[in-house]
Amino acid sequence: MRRLSGRGRSALIIGLQGIRARKTRTLLSMVSLFLGVLAVVVVQAGASIAERALLSDMELYEGVDGTVVMDMGGTSPRLGTIVTSTVAGRSDAVAMTSMQAIIGEPGVRAVNEGGAPFDGSWGDPGPPMECDETGCRELPAAEIQPKGQAIEVRLTALTGNVRQFRPYRPQSGQWLDFSTMPSLGPRLVLNKEAAKGFAQYSVPAEMRVPGASANMTPHFVGVVDDGDQQPRAYVRLDELSHWVPEGKLVDPNMGEVRVLMVAGTPVEQVLSTKLKAVGVEPMVRTVNSKKDMADQLSLMRLVFLAMAGLVLLIGVAGILNVGLATVGERVEEFALRRAVGTPRALLAGIVLAETLITGLLTAALAIGASALALKAVIAFAGSSQPFLQGMQFPWEAGVAGVIAGLVAGVLGGFIPAIRAAGIPIATVMRA
Amino acid sequence: MTALIQLSGITKVLKGQEEPRTILDGVNLDVHAGESVAIVGRSGSGKSTLLSVLGLFDRADQGSYILTGDDISRLPERKAAKLRSSHFGFVFQRFFLLKHLTAAQNVAMALVNGQGWLPRRQRKVKVMAALEEVGIAHLAKNRPSRMSGGEQQRVAIARALVREPRILLADEPTGALDTETGALVIDALQAVTARGCALILVTHDRDHAARMGRIMHLEAGVLTERTGATA
Repeated sequence: MRRLSGRGRSALIIGLQGIRARKTRTLLSMVSLFLGVLAVVVVQAGASIAERALLSDMELYEGVDGTVVMDMGGTSPRLGTIVTSTVAGRSDAVAMTSMQAIIGEPGVRAVNEGGAPFDGSWGDPGPPMECDETGCRELPAAEIQPKGQAIEVRLTALTGNVRQFRPYRPQSGQWLDFSTMPSLGPRLVLNKEAAKGFAQYSVPAEMRVPGASANMTPHFVGVVDDGDQQPRAYVRLDELSHWVPEGKLVDPNMGEVRVLMVAGTPVEQVLSTKLKAVGVEPMVRTVNSKKDMADQLSLMRLVFLAMAGLVLLIGVAGILNVGLATVGERVEEFALRRAVGTPRALLAGIVLAETLITGLLTAALAIGASALALKAVIAFAGSSQPFLQGMQFPWEAGVAGVIAGLVAGVLGGFIPAIRAAGIPIATVMRA
Repeated sequence: MTALIQLSGITKVLKGQEEPRTILDGVNLDVHAGESVAIVGRSGSGKSTLLSVLGLFDRADQGSYILTGDDISRLPERKAAKLRSSHFGFVFQRFFLLKHLTAAQNVAMALVNGQGWLPRRQRKVKVMAALEEVGIAHLAKNRPSRMSGGEQQRVAIARALVREPRILLADEPTGALDTETGALVIDALQAVTARGCALILVTHDRDHAARMGRIMHLEAGVLTERTGATA
């Protein structure tokens, strides 16, 4: 490590002696500066936490940054087969296909028809519809089934562990285990909304999926938070394919087939080529939520930082005031120091060292207070705000605090330092 | 022997709002190593101004200042500070001890001045030697508020000596002390001439002046040497 020069060390030693000799003044400077530095730290920490909160929600449905997402539509009967045969068993890509599933009493309509949330926020679902490859039609009144003890969910079949791309937050139970042999009874992981429905309604464990050879008996193994407002269940595709033929795995009406993969995997090229061969044009994009969000947040952060800067300036004025008063009191000391050979630059350095140390001490206090406040917030609100769980104090806020402290130290100490350097030695002669 | 200090034709004019006033008018002075010189004169005669010029606190308007053979009449402040640190020691009428520091720390102040760096241990050895030299090593840890005037002035002398200067400038060092204590301080100051350090003492006290090797009289900015009979 490079050591400080003789002048640097002298400034530091004398500066520390000065601070120790004038504890009350240092404390007053710190008090005036504290709010300003705290404002900078809080704004920076708030921005980082907000970014993380937004990002963590976005990651749930968009995927983590860098994930390559391939969406494909179309009604090719080979779509499901191509996707599953290309992606199955790979660790660098996961295919997910969604379809309608009704769990509960057979021969009845679901209480949340259309897979609506249970709080009724989707409004009246309208008359029951019947959909096939040619489109959707209103059901004749005679064919409309009565509403019964059944819940409709979007069933998402996965070829592998999708949580590497979408970090769904476990709520209870466990996530799907792809390392075991596929079970005949499909194991389901519900999202929070679906779990809410099953907690609200007692329904028989029988699952109807369009195109399935028979109704299945699902096993619920866990609940996750996937950020989705619609009831949804996740299932291993190989377990579902015991009951649903590959050609039917893609719902022709809600055709959601998506492949999530790591950047640079050959899957992207192979799959694109295969799909184009059957007339399906995939849409490929790379998730870059952080950058998109950073652009949105940067303006807001700048506005808040500007306000924090104003508060900091008030603190700087406080340091400046105390600094000028202190230099006025120390005229003889500085003149004497010059008499014993201390250069003007070092006198300025001593004053700056004092204000910089004051700024750094204040920054340390402000950072400590912010970190403690964040801990308290996590302790009180961590359970209701999942993004807070395991959150550490953002290092960017610490750096911003230290920079704010140093800048305030320099700004507040600059004029007193110039004054100190300009004190004539003759002051000691005239005394 | 070459003089340590050679002043010739030093003139200093005070230019204030009123008429310019000549404070030093062609002052000539040679001081050799180990010599002690007293400068006496009435208040306002320019004694302190002369000491300021000698100690490089101030610059003469005219004349030359030769220090150990080098002309330093027009020295920039940065080099002047270096010379003050390496060649000069200063003792003032008021002791100018920093009350928040101990005696040892006050003495060490002259070593922590940005002119070179001494490790803490070496600083301590030098500080203790300087305090020992003026006979107050036992007060090293005391703060000025717990010392008498004489002790405080001796701490100030130790601070002036700690860098082993070649010239010691003392401006009315006994002015704030009683006669007996003042005599002790003069003893301490005079002792440094034994090791080759020149002592220039500005004083009003005839007795103290009489103890110096030479007495110079400053009157209306003109410096003249007094013989023993007229002192």
